Amino acid sequence: MNEVLIYSDKPSLAAELVGFAREEEHDVTIVTFSPEEASELVGCGASKVVLLDGDSDIPENNARALAGLIDEWGVSLFAVGATPRGRDLAARVAGYLGCGMASDVSAVHLLDGKLSTERLMYGGAMVRSEEFSTPVVVTIPSGRFEAVRGVDSPLETIVIQPDMRVHLVEREPLSQEGADLSCAPRIVSVGMGVSKREDMALIEGLAAALDARIGCTRGIAEERGWVPAEQYVGISGVSVAPDLYLSVGVSGQVQHMVGVRDAKVIVAIDKNEKAPIFREADFGIVGDLYAVVPLLTDALVTAR
Amino acid sequence: MATIVACYKWVLDEEDLVINPDRSIDVSHARGKISEFDKSAIEATMQVAAQTGDATATLTFGTPDVRKSLKDALSRGPATGYWVGDAAACDADALVTSQVLASAIRTIDGTSLVICAEGASDTYARQIAPRVGALLDWPTVTSVIEMKVEGDSITATRKLDGCLETVTVNRPCVIAVLPAGYEPPIPGLKAVLSAGKKPLHELGIAELGCDPAPAAKVLSSQGFIANRRNVIFVDGDASDKVTSLVSALKKEGMLS
Repeated sequence: MNEVLIYSDKPSLAAELVGFAREEEHDVTIVTFSPEEASELVGCGASKVVLLDGDSDIPENNARALAGLIDEWGVSLFAVGATPRGRDLAARVAGYLGCGMASDVSAVHLLDGKLSTERLMYGGAMVRSEEFSTPVVVTIPSGRFEAVRGVDSPLETIVIQPDMRVHLVEREPLSQEGADLSCAPRIVSVGMGVSKREDMALIEGLAAALDARIGCTRGIAEERGWVPAEQYVGISGVSVAPDLYLSVGVSGQVQHMVGVRDAKVIVAIDKNEKAPIFREADFGIVGDLYAVVPLLTDALVTAR
Repeated sequence: MATIVACYKWVLDEEDLVINPDRSIDVSHARGKISEFDKSAIEATMQVAAQTGDATATLTFGTPDVRKSLKDALSRGPATGYWVGDAAACDADALVTSQVLASAIRTIDGTSLVICAEGASDTYARQIAPRVGALLDWPTVTSVIEMKVEGDSITATRKLDGCLETVTVNRPCVIAVLPAGYEPPIPGLKAVLSAGKKPLHELGIAELGCDPAPAAKVLSSQGFIANRRNVIFVDGDASDKVTSLVSALKKEGMLS
């Protein structure tokens, strides 16, 4: 029993992790620290939902108490949604348990008391396969598994003692400045090869002709500030999976490309024939973007 | 006097990795560097020390080669460099690394604040700060973009998914900073020259009482190779290339 224990501060991600456990036919329990989330999570197909009632406003403050329960319950795998809070709580639990942990895995299997995982290293240049004995902790990003729905699972409440040494002063929502690229079917992406801010008009024209959203590299968002930070694509930005990803002046460093690996078709426009992006593109034009983009925009308007 | 310790990792520069056609990885030309994110942890340490007047130190664990990193680390401001150089670092996972760092921190007199980055640029596993906090049983605050320190009290702003969270915590504690708050400046010539004269302390895994056996057993490490078509239009004038591209995209059904 208590083979797989799941936590995510995003209930929809907790539901996806149940999908993983059910796919492999493991017994699965969800833990939550919020009564509201508990009522949402009972329909997610777990054997039970446990509300850990600790009266702390910060989920991570429950890590020490949760590690104690994981030990007591004999949990094999503690699977956590890979969000900033989830990663923090997961690594603390692993620290208190003194056990292994695999972060942000792209593949995960639990079989015969062994956890096997795959994850990216060096900003996506390397894929590493690892194996761990149980108990073990793993963080899993969203989008890897399908959520399942099930009959309402029983809800149990356990009172725990959180670590109250970190106090919440205030929490303010971050206004979303930029566009949400995660579901965009077409993206035109800007890189450092675009030299002046005024040239963004060219990019906007191309995006309009394709009915595409605008994405960018880290440099464009963080160094030049031309595009909101929510729109930069890559290992430390967003990961996208559009049908068409058309990059302009993007050299194709691995930290950027890891964010577009799930794109169906990648097109690159850059003047440097040796730019790494051409190795990771389906189609490309080697040429001066200032000559190519206006012609391409016109051709696309005509073609549609 | 209290001491603030910045932890950093000496990593291979990912730009220098060569992926062979059989997906094996050639690291023979890869140079070492302080993980970019960790430079922000050192910078955060210097900014906090400027507010408090505390002593500053760096701490790193790596292969014996890691000694080479100390001059760069100390040129960024900290007064003392602690290092653990052991071949076991080759196979160390976050379990081992956090145990070595926590044990080393216990030996550094007066440590009241440990500052790490969220993750290292090679593994980006983001486990070290919370694990070190758990091992020391100190409170931990991650994803920090701003800190105000008054005496033992720290007010920190965290950037999380969709919100900014302000928390207070007392020292001793562990803080993990995001690069956004602490852009590291390039050290000046004077700082580089004086770094060579700063005191260094080598610590050994055995004297720290750490078990170097990792929990993660590495089965394979392979280069990622994109499986794309690589139809690249190089020759001809711009309009010919645009025509070829538009025609290819039409065939793919991308323009309907």
